[in-house]
Amino acid sequence: MQIRTTRFGPLEVEPEDLIRFANGLPGMEDCKHWVLLADAETSALGWLQCTSRAEVALAVVSPRRFVPNYQFRVYRSELAPLELDDVKDAQVLVVVGKNDRAITLNLKAPVVINLQRRLGRQVVANGDQPLCYELAHTPAPLKKSA
Amino acid sequence: MLVLSRQRDESIMIGDNIVITIVDIRGDKVRLGINAPTEIPVHRQEVYEAIQRENLRASRLEPKDTRGLGSGKEVRGRRPEAREE
Repeated sequence: MQIRTTRFGPLEVEPEDLIRFANGLPGMEDCKHWVLLADAETSALGWLQCTSRAEVALAVVSPRRFVPNYQFRVYRSELAPLELDDVKDAQVLVVVGKNDRAITLNLKAPVVINLQRRLGRQVVANGDQPLCYELAHTPAPLKKSA
Repeated sequence: MLVLSRQRDESIMIGDNIVITIVDIRGDKVRLGINAPTEIPVHRQEVYEAIQRENLRASRLEPKDTRGLGSGKEVRGRRPEAREE
């Protein structure tokens, strides 16, 4: 099947590429089917592209790459719809945003995907987790002048 | 909407296993104790609404906005330019 996207042009996707979010995502409850794309330039980055709305795509990253000590807890009910045999099989991604100062990561509501069964869900992490975790700009390494 | 009056230390039950207790009342602030099975998620409504807003904001991000994330562990996705036969 071919899908339209505003960012990446028309894309040919196979039915087995689709990831189903039974409840959509908060704010995009009508977006039930998504496809995970790798960014063409930045290997750490992926895009969750909605297959029914061309303009809806979310940049996603593996949080551990940027926040090595990131851990979160969720209620069992949040993960039950994903039909995971083992929680360790889940792929955890977080949504990338941007504010006036920095690129941000939504650590409060990670996206959890069961890649085998192609099921996904954005869960709400318990406790204090930042909705907009600002990534520090890596300063350019200083060169020794002498 | 069902409206019930309760005093401090009184509770309401929802179904068989969810109990909401008025723990404290001070001015316009009410503290609730919620006893529910672990499989029932309990969240403040504003948390959910904040996630909705953040998702909508994030969905306006363009690829050019993400330069600066650098390289790192690859996200296992399809390459958009790869066409399958």
